[in-house]
Amino acid sequence: MTTGTDVPTRDTADLLSPEAVARRRRIVRRASRSTLRRRRAVGNATRVICYVALVIALVPLVALVWYTIKRGVQGLSEAFFTQLPVPQGVPGGGVKEAIIGTLIIVGLAAVVAIPLGLAVSLFLIDRRGKLAASIRFVADVMSGVPSIAIGIFAYALIVVPSQHYSGISGSFALAVLMLPIIVRADEVAMRTVPEDLWDAALALGARPSRVARSVVVRNALPGLVTGNLLAVARAAGETAPLLFTALGSVLFTTNPFQPMDAMPLRIKLDGTQADPHLQTVAWATALVLLASILVLSIVARAFASYATRHAR
Amino acid sequence: MTADRRGGAPERSEEDAAPGAGSPGHVGRLIRLGGRRSHGRIYATIRWGGVLVFAAIVVALVVSLVWQAAPAFRHSGLSFIFSGTWNPDTDQFGAGVFIVDTLITTGVGLLLAIPVGIATAAALSEFLPRRIGGPLSTCIDLIAAVPSIIVGLWGLLVLIPIFQRDVEPFLQKIPLLKHLFGGGDLGSGILLASVVLAIMMLPTMVALTRTALQGVSVADREAALALGGTRWQVVRRAVIPGARPGIEAAITLSMGRALGEAIAVSLVIGGGVTFPHSLLANGTTLGSAIVSFFDEATGVQRSAVIGLAVVLLVFTTVTNIGGQLLVRRRGGSRRQALPDQGVALTDAEVVPA
Repeated sequence: MTTGTDVPTRDTADLLSPEAVARRRRIVRRASRSTLRRRRAVGNATRVICYVALVIALVPLVALVWYTIKRGVQGLSEAFFTQLPVPQGVPGGGVKEAIIGTLIIVGLAAVVAIPLGLAVSLFLIDRRGKLAASIRFVADVMSGVPSIAIGIFAYALIVVPSQHYSGISGSFALAVLMLPIIVRADEVAMRTVPEDLWDAALALGARPSRVARSVVVRNALPGLVTGNLLAVARAAGETAPLLFTALGSVLFTTNPFQPMDAMPLRIKLDGTQADPHLQTVAWATALVLLASILVLSIVARAFASYATRHAR
Repeated sequence: MTADRRGGAPERSEEDAAPGAGSPGHVGRLIRLGGRRSHGRIYATIRWGGVLVFAAIVVALVVSLVWQAAPAFRHSGLSFIFSGTWNPDTDQFGAGVFIVDTLITTGVGLLLAIPVGIATAAALSEFLPRRIGGPLSTCIDLIAAVPSIIVGLWGLLVLIPIFQRDVEPFLQKIPLLKHLFGGGDLGSGILLASVVLAIMMLPTMVALTRTALQGVSVADREAALALGGTRWQVVRRAVIPGARPGIEAAITLSMGRALGEAIAVSLVIGGGVTFPHSLLANGTTLGSAIVSFFDEATGVQRSAVIGLAVVLLVFTTVTNIGGQLLVRRRGGSRRQALPDQGVALTDAEVVPA
């Protein structure tokens, strides 16, 4: 026979009785239902809060773009693209010099910064030492340097010695602005090329320069295009680096050693005038600038998605 | 490097193993062994040339700014940073007001942008179905490319009248807070500058936070789900902690941009040069001071304006180094499979805030 210890005491018997079990089950079920209800309520509340935040974020951003389009379209005409600015109070006129100026300034900057950035990132790509790590770090920190400080740097380095504002000094400022972005974007793009490909090319006896050109750069090309285009798009919209370098001008010039106008400078100049006509010109310029930057960004993204599709 | 290559074969491999300091990539070692001399030299020249030019630019940037600002620092000494009096007529150059205004606008801008930005990113990546969240995210990424001058123009011509007519009178009616919003029915001012900065920070912050949230592994999410978490609890307990370094980095990088923003702020902040008594007062940040004062400045004053750029450079560099360290901390355990890869640049970092 079993000893007394196995015999249920009164208390345990009570606990095991069907009524007691059912009661406990009810309590647990009710409790779990209520915490679930509470957790669902909290979840729904936070979800609503997140949606509200999304709306709060979207409203000014959409309003900004929408207003630029709405006001900008009013100022667009053939003359806007083909004529030079007119004095205040005179109707008509355009911003041909600013459009050409932006093309020249940004183009020169890109011509310098893109190869230079590629060279630096080729240096970084197969190195893991302290030197490479510090260059990466400097590039990352450099890409956060305020553009106004870069503008003053270009002023001090080029405008002061040459005693002359010039488009080329603006290009220099934009190139300095782009360079760290390009370096990091290029390196990230080239890292997507599998090391096996490098090894295969090297095993075939290819020279390192050949490997870099035919294997690394070629395979990373869509990614490289994306990074560089985004860097160019960013530089094209910058005003601060051009304020004290390219200066702005109402004259048409293709000579980069002269002061040059650029679209951001024109927007700043015309937009701060009280004359409604000039404000319309500023909005139209803003629209053209915005559209070109968006086109560049979208093309860049298209290359990026091409790259991911072909990587698979 | 060229010296390495001229040595005999056995020495070369020894020398090659040495300079990497850490572990030189095996590809790098192979490349150096495989190079035929003349071509190898051209390639090495290109790469080292690029690095040297880059290093020279960085050094020149710091040196030339400090050099140009030195006369003002000598002239004003420590009062350049601590004095609040900026008066070119009496040759007093104290950047105190500008520093305070910069910190206030950035701080208030962050207060507005952080909750909205993180909640928006959570909505986009966690709550909305992918076929809505995806296109919306792309839109916000594209809006991040809007140049600061256009945001500034919009602030100047659209937001100033709205603030003057509606927002400021409304704020002055709020019982407890109205002391913050004394004076000013100008429209322009510190508050508007903060709002404009917040709008400029938002797309970048959303994009970076979204990337961080999406980077949290499926396993972490499933673990939280398996424990019976609701969707929000998964986000709260698994996703946000996992994405935390990325979110912190997003905030720091946005903060760096806001500190250094000059053009848009200069259009909407009004340009007061006394310490602000309220959030509606006009002010001048370091960046907007440079934009406003540089042109007519000569002599010591010009040097002092460049000194403002140096102060700004110090602020943003400290912030960015902090941000980079945060980004790199993430490289601890989880990313060991990809050593020293740094952080992948997203589009949002490339386009202006």
